Amino acid sequence: MEDHAIVRLEDASKYYRQGQMEVHAVDGLSFDIHKGDFTALCGPSGSGKTTVLNLIGGLDVPTSGKVFLEGRDIGLLSRSKISAIRRDRIGFVFQAYNLIPVMTAYENAAFVLSLQGVSDRECRDRVTAILKEVGLEGLENRRPDEMSGGQQQRVAIARAIVTRPAIVLADEPTANVDSANADSLLGLMERLNRESGVTFLFSTHDQRVMDRARRIIRLHDGRIESDEVFN
Amino acid sequence: MKISNMAWRNLWRRKRRTYITVLSIGFGVLLSVTFTGMAYDSYTKMIDTSAVMGLGHVTIEPRGYNDSPSLEKRLSDAAGIREQLLEINGVDSALERIMGQAMFASAGKSIGGAFIAVDPDMESVESNLFIRSIVEGGLFSGQNSQGALVGTRVAKKLNIDIGKKLIYTTTDANGEIISEIARVSGIFKTGVSEVDGSMIILPIDRVRSSLGYEAEDATLVSVVVRDQRRSDEMRDIIMSKLRNPAWEALTWRETQADLASIITLDKSGNIIIQVLIGLLIAAGILNTLLMSVMERTREFGVMMAVGMSPFTLFRLVIIESIWYAILGLCLGVLITIPWYAFMYLHGIDFTGMVGSDYSASGVLIDPVMKIRLYRESAAWILTALFTLTILSGIYPAWRAGRVPPVESLKEI
Ligand SMILES: Nc1ncnc2c1ncn2[C@@H]1O[C@H](COP(=O)(O)OP(=O)(O)OP(=O)(O)O)[C@@H](O)[C@H]1O
Ligand SMILES: [Mg+2]
Repeated sequence: MEDHAIVRLEDASKYYRQGQMEVHAVDGLSFDIHKGDFTALCGPSGSGKTTVLNLIGGLDVPTSGKVFLEGRDIGLLSRSKISAIRRDRIGFVFQAYNLIPVMTAYENAAFVLSLQGVSDRECRDRVTAILKEVGLEGLENRRPDEMSGGQQQRVAIARAIVTRPAIVLADEPTANVDSANADSLLGLMERLNRESGVTFLFSTHDQRVMDRARRIIRLHDGRIESDEVFN
Repeated sequence: MKISNMAWRNLWRRKRRTYITVLSIGFGVLLSVTFTGMAYDSYTKMIDTSAVMGLGHVTIEPRGYNDSPSLEKRLSDAAGIREQLLEINGVDSALERIMGQAMFASAGKSIGGAFIAVDPDMESVESNLFIRSIVEGGLFSGQNSQGALVGTRVAKKLNIDIGKKLIYTTTDANGEIISEIARVSGIFKTGVSEVDGSMIILPIDRVRSSLGYEAEDATLVSVVVRDQRRSDEMRDIIMSKLRNPAWEALTWRETQADLASIITLDKSGNIIIQVLIGLLIAAGILNTLLMSVMERTREFGVMMAVGMSPFTLFRLVIIESIWYAILGLCLGVLITIPWYAFMYLHGIDFTGMVGSDYSASGVLIDPVMKIRLYRESAAWILTALFTLTILSGIYPAWRAGRVPPVESLKEI
């Protein structure tokens, strides 16, 4: 298992049928994501970024090809198994409306832990620490509608990393916040990656966000246009 | 966070919608209780009133008498039966009676009618509607007196008054025609015109001797029980106690088949009303929950994406419907208690609209509308509404767990 990539796509394709036309949302993609990576998935609108993330997260199944998560072919797993993998091994951050409106920042951050059945005590320790880490100390009892977009995204990041997942998949996490907030969210993600070794794969079409990635996979019409690693 | 807690908070996201839904369940309880309570109150009154018009809730009579009544058929040890019956717990009164058809005649006129011969020392206002309904004079006293209590319309048709004589003609124990004189001691008015126009009450010992009956003979023993709903049970207890194949015990359902079928019919009507109330409530809850589920498609998608199982989502929505049920029923009980107390104790008086002589199938109906709910009915209504509310949640809950997350995440 040592040398397995956390994520491996092998000639993965996703086709959608739209009337007579077949849309090749993802077209024969192959790449690996390794532990500790900080990778950006870039490309114009419609290039297949969300579809790739959904395939990796087991939210969608490839039309052909394979998607491996920690060495397991998720195409072979049952729905409930995939659901458990999402809960235990993947952190999700979406573009917006990540949070459950009736729950406070604390409860949202604790949501997945409680699904995992982590004890209240341990949950409290971990969530408190994470909220502090993402800079939300003192806002634990706010509901989503009492927080700014940036703060809401921080709660989403807290929820995603508090379970110590193998990878955090973030679909345009900064698209709905202003550039100052985007900067600090990216700073937070970088720090979590550097200090705690959290593996991130995030999509974006914002050049300034791309600039901070250590690896950029560029997509165009569902195919890889370029895959560059920086140091 | 506990899922029940989350469900509770979800309820209050749209306060007004929740208030309306809860209110509709609450009113459902009120309506259901009112209709059921009205029906049961009127059944109880009809059954209890008819019981004190001669036959009782349970009648002990010669086998076959019910199918073809005749004065030739009689019980031989009526007093003994009565004593035995009075020992049974739940029996309020047991009375020997002779009942039959007769012709009544005065100086100028004659009419056909029926008589009930009773023991004036045993009868009471509680056990005998005719005594309760005396409007002039009183009941004859002394067992062998010549007195007679007659209905108002009998008195009018025969043109007789208190103290006046009338002659009744009937067949005796051997099928022979006999005639006897009586003197009017009192006049009653039950309000049921067929009864007031055909019934007279006579002293039992006098009638025994005219008919050639033995001193202990009677047509039947009429039993009034404390709780009419236990009539069947009481009949069985009585049967097992008496053990005489020549006698049988019948309930009001058998001796007054007309009344029984009216009640059965009315009960079916009530069931239809209850079903309609139920459907109305179910539609309301279904609508509320379905709307609330549709609004949360994206939210549910996120929850599933981060690892919540569709079944947990199903449970969430079901628990929301349980909360609606709990709130609705609590509100229902809260608003129903004062209403019930008022309707049980005072009721609404419709005398002005229907008059005080309102009867159906020979039984007087009280123009004061009251409601009376038995414990079983109350439990039944609450259980049914609770179950219904949760059943209404099943479809929305299923919908909630069915949407694939990748689709729901696209909705904003
Ligand atoms: N459910 C679907 N049915 C049909 N076509 C779809 C579906 N989902 C995605 N597509 C198509 O697949 C292609 C890739 O979509 P995808 O959402 O992955 O792009 P994206 O790179 O995330 O775009 P954006 O930057 O706008 O979010 C698009 O052409 C889109 O129209
Ligand atoms: Mg996208």
